Amino acid sequence: METSSNLLSLIGFCLLISASGFLTFLLISRNDQIRQLKEILTKLRKSFDDLDEQAKLIVKTDLELNKAQEELDRRLNGLDALQKVSRLISTTLDEEEMFKRINQSLVTQVGFEKTAVLIYTENRKLIGRILIGIPTEEVKRILSSFENYQPLLSTLKEGQTLSSINAPKQHREFVQNIFNVEHFVISPIITQHGILGIVFVGNSINSFPITEGDEELISILANQISQSLENVRLFEEVFLSTKNLESKIQDRTKELASALEQVQNVSRIKSEFISAVSHELRTPLTSIKGYAALLMSGKLGDIPDQVRDRLARINTHSDNLVKFINDLLDIARIESGKAEMNLTKTSLVQMIENVHDLLTPQLQNKNIQWKMEIDPLIEDIAADHNQLERVVINLVSNAIKFTPEGGTISVKAQKINDMIQIDVTDTGIGISEKDVKRLFDEFYRVDNQINQNLKGTGLGLSLAKKIVEAHNGKIKVTSQLNQGTTFSFTVPIYKEAPP
Amino acid sequence: MATKIGIGFSEHPHPETAAKDAGFLSKTQLDEDKIDFSIVLSTTHYSPQKTLPILTNILNSSKLVGASTAGIILSDTVKTRGIAVITISSSEFDFGIGSVHGLKHQDSFQAGSHLAKNTLNNFSPRGRQGFLFFADPNILNYTQFLKGIQSIFGNILPIIGAGCSDNFRFQETFQLYQNEIFNNSAVGIILGGHMSIGLGSRHGWRPLGKPRFVDESDNNVIKTIDGKKASFIYKEFFSHEADEFLSNRLSTLSLLYPLGVYVEGSQEYLLKNTSILPDGSLTSQGNVPVGSRIHVMIGNKDSCRQAAYEAALEAQKNLMDKEPKLLLIIESMTRLKLLSRNAAHEIRKIKEVFGSSTPIIGMYSNGEVSPFQTIDRFKSPLLQNESIIVTALG
Repeated sequence: METSSNLLSLIGFCLLISASGFLTFLLISRNDQIRQLKEILTKLRKSFDDLDEQAKLIVKTDLELNKAQEELDRRLNGLDALQKVSRLISTTLDEEEMFKRINQSLVTQVGFEKTAVLIYTENRKLIGRILIGIPTEEVKRILSSFENYQPLLSTLKEGQTLSSINAPKQHREFVQNIFNVEHFVISPIITQHGILGIVFVGNSINSFPITEGDEELISILANQISQSLENVRLFEEVFLSTKNLESKIQDRTKELASALEQVQNVSRIKSEFISAVSHELRTPLTSIKGYAALLMSGKLGDIPDQVRDRLARINTHSDNLVKFINDLLDIARIESGKAEMNLTKTSLVQMIENVHDLLTPQLQNKNIQWKMEIDPLIEDIAADHNQLERVVINLVSNAIKFTPEGGTISVKAQKINDMIQIDVTDTGIGISEKDVKRLFDEFYRVDNQINQNLKGTGLGLSLAKKIVEAHNGKIKVTSQLNQGTTFSFTVPIYKEAPP
Repeated sequence: MATKIGIGFSEHPHPETAAKDAGFLSKTQLDEDKIDFSIVLSTTHYSPQKTLPILTNILNSSKLVGASTAGIILSDTVKTRGIAVITISSSEFDFGIGSVHGLKHQDSFQAGSHLAKNTLNNFSPRGRQGFLFFADPNILNYTQFLKGIQSIFGNILPIIGAGCSDNFRFQETFQLYQNEIFNNSAVGIILGGHMSIGLGSRHGWRPLGKPRFVDESDNNVIKTIDGKKASFIYKEFFSHEADEFLSNRLSTLSLLYPLGVYVEGSQEYLLKNTSILPDGSLTSQGNVPVGSRIHVMIGNKDSCRQAAYEAALEAQKNLMDKEPKLLLIIESMTRLKLLSRNAAHEIRKIKEVFGSSTPIIGMYSNGEVSPFQTIDRFKSPLLQNESIIVTALG
């Protein structure tokens, strides 16, 4: 019994040892698992933390990218709207229309809740030209507050753009308060002549804040408005001034037309008077000349030499008077348009040679050299032969008259476009600048020694001018005292009428 | 007559002219004298006091509802100002409309159930296919509001909702009901009759970093996360950038990196835009219960476009091969802000699925409600932000 009891105790003891070993083994094994699990958990935590750190990096990069993208989007939107606004306002020259074109949708596209464009009137009062997102009942208070807050206006007048980012505290709070916004940009509409107005944009507290890009954008918008406004106003000024000028020109033209009519009337009356008087004078003169010639012929009996001499003088003076009257009549006829030029094909060379032949005795008397420098093949002219010859005779006669002995008279002709210009040049005493200006006036005679000794009417050059002008030509004179004078006149080249 | 739909839009600066233009355009496109149902979507640039009398006069619609929006989605473009009018004349579709007021001060569950009851009272005894509502976003407790609606309609009827918006001002939205203008209200529409609805909803954001857990919350206020003040989650990621939250209700951070709440049984995280309260708590639209697994989320323009595409695919699939007659888009206004110039790209993606012939109309909302797959048998309506809901009516 005792043996079996001991055996059982031994067995029990062995089992106890084994169980305790097994338990110990189990305990060790579990501890190992827990340790391993702890290690895994630590690793897992570490991975999560690493993941979180990576996520933070990703988020920060993503945030920066998003902000850049957002700013870019806003800039693009703003630029797009700005480009549209610029195009729209720069294509009108009407101030009302200009502001009408900056409509709400465009301004909204720039990305602000509130927009105001305030403009100074002529009497320097601010008025709201564009008001978007600002209640009508608030406008009066805003304008009045603005005008009464000089420090901000002074800063704006200097051309500074202010915003909720850069404005001094006092200004910032003022703008935030009067417009009831948190974020804003305010920029002057300024030109070289001063401030024309103000552009304001703003957002409320819950909206996006302003960026530097917005400042630039609004500054550009204000600049664009100022340029367009200046253009519009300049145009209005020019338009009004042109209208005024046109009105003045019309008035002046009417006055001139009326004066011209009066002058023409006077001239016509003068011509008619001269014509009537001349006719009345010429008839008795013809009789005087006739009777003088009859007496001189001796048909009525011999006359003493002294009487003959006096009769010869009567005859000469009568001739002079007839010539004078004829010249007057010609001038009157040409002026009144009654004397039409009979333009025919005329050889200039032939005409000049005729004049030369006619005046050769006078040339020879003063030993004046005659030079004719005209191309024999020069085109024929369209002229009233008799009238134009009178012009040439007049000019050459004058040249002979004022050229001292041994001098030279030359006649040249050259083609200028459709005209032939004839120059009669002498080496005479010349004409002063003062006299040149009046040389073609009727009855004007240059006051010099020669004219004092030789009688003249002062009608020759006036008549010559009228004849040339009746040929659609022009006459002019250039002269230098003691050097000589050149008279130049133009006449048209003859053209065959088309068959 | 089967179903005719007209869509008119105007962005004329003068409210009266815009209303007149949009109304006439819609009616002309509809080409029917009798209008059964109209929806008016308007940005807050237009005073409804000036536009609604003109619209009711022109449309003479038997049922009209409307809402303020941050933008309007059209078939080819997106507009951030304007008025859109949708007119429907149909012998197949049926609509019931209702409204509820005083959302800020009323028990949200009661408000939800009142809205549902009122709408139901206006609906003929035909088959209900879905419930759509436009609500002021300042509902006391959105979760309770939705439960209130479900208490009347049950758990099966799809519920779609859009928070009205006032273009990021967060001050006052408006809701239109027949010839009345309301604030702080909700208007509802039962979509029914011989109609099929295909719904798809996505956001496109993905979780970032390790998961975190909400330790303490009170309805829509998240107080602590992982033992720290809730705002710490953003401070950890953005350090000083997170301060922006304090000065901007809808900051860039909140738009770009919303909180994602894991919902068991769902493939997508529920997105929440948040703001930081002075005590360091985070506040969001809709409740975030204690124990919620949350992440900071990340997305980009591509993922947004892809989400729009996937939402359209899902809507098409749920329409069960029926021909879509109208696509109604409810999209978060934050997506409009994010996509900015490229906002219309999402419409192109939707058209890749549905083609160009189906008319599209939509609004940018402040909070979207759509059925969300959870472990529950039926999809529950949940409020989230930054999402796009494509509803195809066929």
